[in-house]
Amino acid sequence: MPLDPHALHLAIRWLHVAAMATAFGGAITVFALSARTRNGALDAALVEVALRYEFLFWLAAGILAMTGIGNLAAFGSGLPLSRTEWGTTFVLKLGFVIALIVLSLPRTLAIARLQRSRSRPLSAPLQGRLRMMYGGTGAAFAVALGLAVWLAHG
Amino acid sequence: MEWSLATFHASGFVLAIVFFLYSRDALGLALGGLNTLLGLALFVALWATTYLTTCRAVAGLDLLREDDRVLFARRAFRWGAANGIAFLAILGLVLVASAVFVSPSVLLTALFIAPFALIISAVVGAVVGVIFVAVDLALLAVARAALNVR
Repeated sequence: MPLDPHALHLAIRWLHVAAMATAFGGAITVFALSARTRNGALDAALVEVALRYEFLFWLAAGILAMTGIGNLAAFGSGLPLSRTEWGTTFVLKLGFVIALIVLSLPRTLAIARLQRSRSRPLSAPLQGRLRMMYGGTGAAFAVALGLAVWLAHG
Repeated sequence: MEWSLATFHASGFVLAIVFFLYSRDALGLALGGLNTLLGLALFVALWATTYLTTCRAVAGLDLLREDDRVLFARRAFRWGAANGIAFLAILGLVLVASAVFVSPSVLLTALFIAPFALIISAVVGAVVGVIFVAVDLALLAVARAALNVR
């Protein structure tokens, strides 16, 4: 039975949105937790939650890259050129997403390193750094989402 | 850590190619000849081979140690080449399998091209592996600086 291309592209879009929601919502959740943690036991839990989020973040990043290209393929030969208004916004979004991925690796490596030394409680400045990293990730996803909405409906 | 490094490498590599092709208006042409499901499968294949080779490249290493970082760079060259070969082998198998029933002579052509293609894929994989090691180590330094607070 031939696969309906519309159903396939709908499934790809659904997967893209689900991955975006996971990465965006997860960053906001860890940010909210880091804003409230104030004792040793919660510090350890925060690092553990952040570590779980990092696994999900990279799973979502891979799915977003894969399905994003699938979404582009749906345009076929009708893909707008890079010098159009849509194309300029898309180049901006793509550059922004690449920067987000590159700047996310230090966050993951930092959390992996923190997990190794989890016997020590998080100092207030370190907790502030975590808050900044996850707040920054959430804000970056909000910008990427804004650009995606513009590309889809603008 | 292998999971995040591997996904970073696979996604970063593909997105950089998409960025390059789209900014030169060549992406529509490249995607036009690709079946959507096949494209998704090839991305998953690249992701899988990159994960397996990244696991081998960082096995037993502590990237926070200077000696291990040098060893990581050497291994990245070797396992980057292995990744290039593995991905090309999968890509070649898919292309040959889809074409051989239409035109059996494609098998002979593929066998003739295969040695050259494998050498080129190994070189490309090794170069990309070394570039990513440089990026990884720079980002590792950023991660250490991020934790270095009083």
